[in-house]
Amino acid sequence: MDWIPTALDFLSDCVGPGYAPGTAAATEPTALAALALTAHGRALDADKQLRALQSWQTTDGSLGVTEKEPHPQWPTTLAVIAWTKASTNPALFQTSIGDAVNWLLQQQGETIPPRADNIGHDTMLVGWPWVQGTHSWLEPTAFALLALKAAGKSDHPRAREAAKLLADRLLPEGGCNYGNTFILGQQLRPHVQPTGLVMLALADEHIDDDRVAASLEFLNRELPKQRSAASYAYAAMGLAAHRHAQTQADESQLDELATRALEEEAPLRLALLLLAVSGANNPLYPSCVPSGGKQKATEQ
Amino acid sequence: MSDKKQRDGEIQRPACPKAAAKNAPCAKSNSPTNGGEAEGKFNRRALLVGGATLAAAGAIGLPIARRLLAERSPVFLASNQSYSGNLASTIESGLHETGFDFNWIRGRKVLLKPNMVEPTRDAPHMTTHPAMVVAAADVFLKHGAEVTVGEAPGHVRDTEMALAESGIGDALRSERLKFADMNYQDVKQTSNRGHHSGLPHFFFPQAVAEADLVVSMPKLKTHHWVGMTAAMKNLYGTLPGIKYGWPKNVLHYNGIPQTVVDINSSCGRTIGIVDGIDCMEGDGPIMGSRKHMGLVAIGTSLPALDATLARVIGLDPTKINYLQFASEKLGPIEDWQIDQRGERWQAVASPFEILDLDFLQYLRADGVLVT
Repeated sequence: MDWIPTALDFLSDCVGPGYAPGTAAATEPTALAALALTAHGRALDADKQLRALQSWQTTDGSLGVTEKEPHPQWPTTLAVIAWTKASTNPALFQTSIGDAVNWLLQQQGETIPPRADNIGHDTMLVGWPWVQGTHSWLEPTAFALLALKAAGKSDHPRAREAAKLLADRLLPEGGCNYGNTFILGQQLRPHVQPTGLVMLALADEHIDDDRVAASLEFLNRELPKQRSAASYAYAAMGLAAHRHAQTQADESQLDELATRALEEEAPLRLALLLLAVSGANNPLYPSCVPSGGKQKATEQ
Repeated sequence: MSDKKQRDGEIQRPACPKAAAKNAPCAKSNSPTNGGEAEGKFNRRALLVGGATLAAAGAIGLPIARRLLAERSPVFLASNQSYSGNLASTIESGLHETGFDFNWIRGRKVLLKPNMVEPTRDAPHMTTHPAMVVAAADVFLKHGAEVTVGEAPGHVRDTEMALAESGIGDALRSERLKFADMNYQDVKQTSNRGHHSGLPHFFFPQAVAEADLVVSMPKLKTHHWVGMTAAMKNLYGTLPGIKYGWPKNVLHYNGIPQTVVDINSSCGRTIGIVDGIDCMEGDGPIMGSRKHMGLVAIGTSLPALDATLARVIGLDPTKINYLQFASEKLGPIEDWQIDQRGERWQAVASPFEILDLDFLQYLRADGVLVT
């Protein structure tokens, strides 16, 4: 784990990171960098990232994918999670959180009238899309559920429906992909990253469904095989959030992923790996209490 | 002929016939094609046909006039190919046969765009084989191009995983080739020059915006919504997920055939080099079965290339919506308009299984019975 201090220094020095060197400052890597820095006790450095996010918020409360691209706004959810769970002084961000949550609750995925045999999942559940005007998909819906939970809105009807949607789209043998189960009668394959994220979002839900346990088993089987930072990190976090027994990763596996992310100066991958090894301090876990004390978004 | 002129209904003989198709510009005008013998023959024929057509245009209508003015395009097919064979030699020969101008490419930026939609080691027949990518890179590097491999995987956010599972990551590292993760690059807004969908513009990633030539390098597969996917549909992967989602649902909502043609109309100069060695039939483009064909297909007109491959797999290209749309502006799809180089498609044709759904079975070429 020699890479951890180097990775933290890298994220501390890079306020408002893009997805790759030389690219525009981006909301997702910045939010996850803030969370990773806080998880490893660098809350003051995290605050710089949080303020960067604040500066990109538009008047409607949303944040675009990058500083230069105000649309689409799917990473707004990640800013909410970061502001609520990575700040030493959450009061500084209360208005931002309230505006962002208000925006989030106005967004919804397009529903599709049920079509027999064509689509396996319940297409009438609303959830959240990647881009306004399109159908809901698993990762934006999982991020939205995590954001609402972080903002103290776990019981909001949209949050309850989101949990139902995530569970609905699990595959019969466990795991999920971007958000399709059956198409034209054919069952699709599970993918590690969305399964890890969905398990993370469902960690404090009480869902009586064998597919949840099967999904965790899928992650546990796949974890040691992962050769990419994001899939590894989400798998590890999905398992840890459920306190599921986890096949211990070979340390060389993690070192290799982190070394490559450092060589390629990949902030998002480094932030995810740092979060994955942060144990109980991981602010992405729904049950994790924010460092600045539990806070609620401004009531709308 | 510019898109605007076509839209306005103005029939005007272009200075170079190839300029009529944006994706196959002529050799003397900054073009990747060399204006070889076939083009010369076509020019004379087209002038004769064009003159007659112009005179009759008022009577028979502009669509038919355009059709009669349409150019011919060469498509190269090589059979008995394997991933362990000398694919670079095949690709170089195919490019020569289709009139590609290697002098034009020297010093220019070439983007190789394989298909890595949702790679898994369990289904290598879903994605472009690394050997094809490396071979194409070798050819363009040999001729002095600056080569980048780029992809915006359509169903997975984790591009590092996609590179690992497809085997392309290891191959690129081994060959020291550059990779552009186009899902997350900065974008450039470009007008939609196709006008088939309602999208006013596209956001292309930096690697596409800066490329002098985009080489579509798909896997030949059936597609359970539109019949088949090859060089044209593969260009869905030139659009970044951060703007269009995973999957790129914005495109689906605006019509798959329409957006396929619009992207092809808008993304700059293209050619196609198709991995038709181990293909996918049945429930493609993700869950289908492997079908070995041993083919490499190359074309400087993507509609002509895809139309030829449709015939190879037993579909009628004139029934495939995006090829119908493409034939109006982008390139020819009728068999008589396509000059076959290398193997004739009839010699290598082997109908693919497709799902037993009416809208897919309708695409079958007459007389082909495979379910």
